[in-house]
Amino acid sequence: MDYGYINARMRGMKSRLLSRRSLDDLIMKPDLESLIADLENSPYREDIIEAKGRSTGIACIENALRQNFIRTFRKIQNFSKQEPEAGEYIAIFLHRWDVQNIKTILRGKNIHTTNEEILECLVPAGELDEVTLKELLKQPDVRSVIDLLATWKIRYAKPLTESFAEFWKSRDLAILECALDRYYYTDALAAVKAPTYNNNLIRDLLALEIDVVNLRTVLRMVRDSVDPADAERYIIPGGKEFDLRKLRHLLTLPAIDDVVRALVATRYRFLSRIPEAAIRTQKISVIEKELERYLIREGVGAFLLDPLSVASVIGYFWAKYNEITNIRIISRCKTADFPVENLKEELVYV
Amino acid sequence: MVGWEVPIGAAIAFAGGAIGTGWAQSRIGAAGAGAIAERPETSGSIIILEAIPETLVILGFVVAAMILLMTG
Repeated sequence: MDYGYINARMRGMKSRLLSRRSLDDLIMKPDLESLIADLENSPYREDIIEAKGRSTGIACIENALRQNFIRTFRKIQNFSKQEPEAGEYIAIFLHRWDVQNIKTILRGKNIHTTNEEILECLVPAGELDEVTLKELLKQPDVRSVIDLLATWKIRYAKPLTESFAEFWKSRDLAILECALDRYYYTDALAAVKAPTYNNNLIRDLLALEIDVVNLRTVLRMVRDSVDPADAERYIIPGGKEFDLRKLRHLLTLPAIDDVVRALVATRYRFLSRIPEAAIRTQKISVIEKELERYLIREGVGAFLLDPLSVASVIGYFWAKYNEITNIRIISRCKTADFPVENLKEELVYV
Repeated sequence: MVGWEVPIGAAIAFAGGAIGTGWAQSRIGAAGAGAIAERPETSGSIIILEAIPETLVILGFVVAAMILLMTG
């Protein structure tokens, strides 16, 4: 397997990502219009010009970022086609957008949002293209969406059909979302079972993600004082640091600060640096943000691993995701007149 | 009269350099193509990098020539 070509392209693409200085320049822009004008002089030019014809303001930036993300990953998929192994690894990372899109559609249908609003939140970067997603959107309710997925024999129909009866009883969408997550991670881990360098790399990152997803679940369950036996159903197996026994113990803790204290002996000890006042108010958004930062840093860190492996693709995936998240944060904060000093703290620099 | 081992030795010296060059150029070529696809302005440096392994085959040729000339 020759990753030389893929690695060179990934590094070339990485060199076009916005630098810290460019992000700081964007932060200093006084309003949304000047931010859009500045993005027109960046690698987002093509997407911004296209989006300007269809929308204005924040919608223009959102559309441009979404299109850029989709275009970038389609491009990576296309030039990786000649290396089937690399293509499979990339597909594992892109399938998460399928899961995310299905979750978005199910959420929208569950609260009866308009199709236009749901469509704006979709990112068709995975296997399910825009046409498929639009067809799913035409369905009137959650059940019909799952039925259509099953009719088309789309793999995600299986976990949804299996857990639909449980969802129907409680009308709690978290059941379907957790079933989707569990299916995605189990499927992805099964695909990288063989002990090769690339498989180990992807398995490690997936296991890290599972840990973070489980920790978020634990924090929410502890905050809402959910019975540990009930909460256990939402745990995804396959984590790196936490097995079911350790997570069960965390779920029995009475408050969020106890969970954070229990994590001191793990790689998540950085959570103890969060000001106690923020934790005491039972606000988990601060902790979730730190966990997200950690995941992004670990993901982008893959760039430092063997260049003749899938590592550079994984590193780029996270770096691009982070860049788009940062621009979204800047544009949202500009709309809300958020102070510049605080805005810098919200971004993740890698 | 030189024995059969002299031309065989020269052939091995040349072939070793040629195979090494071919292998190195294939790897550099693949990576170079990727780099040029993303950043066309790097094509000058890539052509130089692509040519560097040629020194191996030249060295092989010189060694082969020396074997033939000095023992011939």
